[in-house]
Amino acid sequence: MKIGAVLIDLSGTIHIDNTVIPGAIQALNKLRSTDVKIKFVTNTTKESKRILHDRLTHIGFTIDKDEIFTSLTAARQLVDKRALRPYMLITEAAREEFVGVSGQDPNAVLVGLAPECFDYEHMTTAMRLLLDGAPLIAIHKARYYKRSDGLAIGPGAFVTGLEYSTGCKAEVVGKPESSFFHTALQDLGVSASEAVMIGDDARDDVCGAMTAGLRGILVKTGKYRAGDEDKVDPVPSFVADDFSRAVDYLIENGLSLP
Amino acid sequence: MGEWLRSPIRGVLLDITGVLYESSADHGTVIPGSVKAVNRLRESGMPFRLVTNETTTPTTVLLDKLRRFGYQLEERELFSPIPAVVKLLQQEQLVPHLLVHPKVEGELRVGEKGSPASCVVLGDAEDNFSYANLNSAFRALMVMPCPRLITLGYGRYYKHNQQLQLDVGVYAKALEFACGVESEVVGKPSPAFFNQALADMGVQAEEAVMVGDDISSDVEGAQKCGMRGVLVRTGKFTSSLLPHPTITPDCVVDNLAEAVDQILAAKGKN
Repeated sequence: MKIGAVLIDLSGTIHIDNTVIPGAIQALNKLRSTDVKIKFVTNTTKESKRILHDRLTHIGFTIDKDEIFTSLTAARQLVDKRALRPYMLITEAAREEFVGVSGQDPNAVLVGLAPECFDYEHMTTAMRLLLDGAPLIAIHKARYYKRSDGLAIGPGAFVTGLEYSTGCKAEVVGKPESSFFHTALQDLGVSASEAVMIGDDARDDVCGAMTAGLRGILVKTGKYRAGDEDKVDPVPSFVADDFSRAVDYLIENGLSLP
Repeated sequence: MGEWLRSPIRGVLLDITGVLYESSADHGTVIPGSVKAVNRLRESGMPFRLVTNETTTPTTVLLDKLRRFGYQLEERELFSPIPAVVKLLQQEQLVPHLLVHPKVEGELRVGEKGSPASCVVLGDAEDNFSYANLNSAFRALMVMPCPRLITLGYGRYYKHNQQLQLDVGVYAKALEFACGVESEVVGKPSPAFFNQALADMGVQAEEAVMVGDDISSDVEGAQKCGMRGVLVRTGKFTSSLLPHPTITPDCVVDNLAEAVDQILAAKGKN
């Protein structure tokens, strides 16, 4: 089957902070010269699309803002689709994605990564809304994350606490949820069976995409650690040294899937 | 006589907050009929003990408060997680990293000053449950060779100032999830905690009833321990709780007075 779309992870796959992964810009141009559709998909809880886009442009990528699909975009789409007025525990930067969304008289709770919002008062307000039947939407459920002063407790812990106190189950919108990949593809009008995901996270990128019906290519850059491909089920469709090698592999195979 | 009273009751355990009084920002308000109910238990010779997960005030302060409401109680009749955890810390020579209410920190600070923490002790810290404090507890657990998370109770929420607010169990769950550890509960619904109060009365679990406003910590906890569990419609009770998918209280009553009425009426007949 012909490949209709390629979903590409950002951090660890085509760049790390402000450094381009060698060959990524050329490889992306090569892929663009074919007729496949492209979308950049990433889990972010604190950076808006604009900030991500600015960074990528600054380091030399030619990317359109609308080509970026983040867990925040997925959350925004869900909010719009269900006409939710969420009480939001998210950072100021992430609020950019929710311009025009009313939080008056909230009927949902949205949790991102926002240390400044995870205090007792905000959490208690969230709990009361959930007990009244509001749905709990989590951008993602990371246990912890890395910051400059070391590991820090992640949003997943707070989401889990709220689930326990109220007996509800959070809807997670980011990777590795199948709905995340499906929503990203919906915009492109390509079905999961005609799409490939390229990323450095064996679990969230590759395994998540494959569970959603896409093919998954793991790259050995970013957070990749030797043997990651053997630790996941299903195993990746292909393992490439880097993004550039992954693109070559697709092109060598005539952009079609076995 | 209700079905639940067919086999005799020889001892009663009472929850405090939401059963004896309603909690609020000032001193709280006594629940009508509860003082008289406790007096009637005593006059009838029915053994009883108070079992609480209250960890925002020292035990002596809580007793003073109850006495001001008119309850006649002895300190030895009250079982709270604070003395229980202090005993545990001393027995096992643990040095705690504390995430508790400032008012009880003093009582819980045991072990040698300056030595690295060997466990995290979590109490109802209220406003002290900030991201920064939770993050330091998280980091303390992550560097322990054998991380131990001890939580004083495992409650979901309780009623304060006529509104529900988060209880310690929420933060215990959060740390469990982040660190991949399981917490040890001191307080309700730990069977060891209930058994301590039962042993003090010299009563078997099968002969005892627990009366509380928390369907999990009080009712389910008691039932899992072999006691009967009675739910009151005061405190944090909301009608949406029932029917509960997994927990069936032995009896649901309007308040403590009604529970004591039934228990004492059955006592006369047994």
